[in-house]
Amino acid sequence: MIATAAPTSTKVVRGVTLHGEPAREAIFNVVSTDAEMAEWPGMSDESRRERLHRHMNNECVAMEIASQAVADFPDAPWDLRMSIARQAADESRHVEILYRRLLELGGRKGEFPVSNYEWSVTGMIDNLPGRLAIENRTFEAGLIDILGQLKTTWREAGDDRTADALEAILADEITHVRFANRWIKLLTERDPRVLLRVAQAIRYLRAVNAALAPEVGSVNAVGVTLTEEKVQPPAVNVSGRLEAGFTEEEVLEVLRQAGFRSIIPEQLRTT
Amino acid sequence: MTLNVRERADTIGTLRHISVFAMETLARWVPTTPELEAKIVLGRHIWEFAQHADGLGRRTHELRAAMHYSPAPTDPYVAILEEWRALTATADRIGTLYDAIIPDLDARYAAYLAATDVFLDEPSVRIVERNRADLPRMIEESRALRKERPELAASPAAAAMARRLAACTEYVSFRAPVGSTAERLA
Repeated sequence: MIATAAPTSTKVVRGVTLHGEPAREAIFNVVSTDAEMAEWPGMSDESRRERLHRHMNNECVAMEIASQAVADFPDAPWDLRMSIARQAADESRHVEILYRRLLELGGRKGEFPVSNYEWSVTGMIDNLPGRLAIENRTFEAGLIDILGQLKTTWREAGDDRTADALEAILADEITHVRFANRWIKLLTERDPRVLLRVAQAIRYLRAVNAALAPEVGSVNAVGVTLTEEKVQPPAVNVSGRLEAGFTEEEVLEVLRQAGFRSIIPEQLRTT
Repeated sequence: MTLNVRERADTIGTLRHISVFAMETLARWVPTTPELEAKIVLGRHIWEFAQHADGLGRRTHELRAAMHYSPAPTDPYVAILEEWRALTATADRIGTLYDAIIPDLDARYAAYLAATDVFLDEPSVRIVERNRADLPRMIEESRALRKERPELAASPAAAAMARRLAACTEYVSFRAPVGSTAERLA
């Protein structure tokens, strides 16, 4: 028997039904699409603050997703609940790290629009293996790729403090993906129907992505045109994904989807 | 007279029940609490309660009950917990957690240490001592939060809940002794 938990509220965006927003202070402008965000290319002072602000909110969403999973699935194996509870605490720490850095750079919460996209998608999945597949194995694995790239971007921009913070966050995210990979495998071995739930969750995510994907040529809230490069998936962090428990075949598949753009693993760089 | 093995398992298991209840309550509150700084503290403390529950749950098995045995407390205590979980105002959530629930839990841990045999039940004692050591830090973090967000400092519900908890002295639903009529009929 796979326990289920229905969403408590919903919203419809571009014809897709998503989970309603988590609680936010009125100071935040919560939006639903990329076009409503205020992202700038490059590393201007404003762009740096916006990047930190966006990342801070995304970590907050990850904390909320993990917390909701702890609340929604009381009958899940205790050791899995422990891992999710730990994840909630890790994400809490990430929010605080990024919030402090934002303040140090002269920013403030609510300075830019935020999107709770991952919450809106994951909250519609009524079972724990499906949520782990979406949040940990997909979104957080994507974050491994993004952070692999971003820490270099910040360092090259002369901000070692932020780069160091991102490196620490990356190590935690690898752990979150790893435990999800391990548990999905274990739960599937115990009950093959779990695989069906995971496949349904991934199918839902694909449908949402197809409906909400940013369109090349569209203009965002600060007048920046979304380019082909911007909508491309990030370079794949091969070593990070392997550490997180993905098989070589799975990493290869992600590489194919990313057009074989990858961050070269450290062990290969030194040879 | 000190607690026997069965009573120790019941008490440790009940303390685990309370820790799991707290973990789940904080987990429910994180997405429904608007203030960012409050979310951060609550999110961090989910893990603290999870670790407390984990240690207690492993001990129950050593005390000849099931692994992670977590019997519900007495009805009056459960009623307080349910009312606590239903709070919606952030100041009340923070106030009741850090000024009522956690100090009360600390008092119940202290009462357990006073009631058990510290030598015969040393593993429980160590677990309880470790859990207790976390509680002042958690309260201190809530103080920092309330200093940063002074509007969260005043909770009308906290003092009332602390009084009700203090009045609820019997919180463990002990199983009937082995071989008793009640146990044979169960």
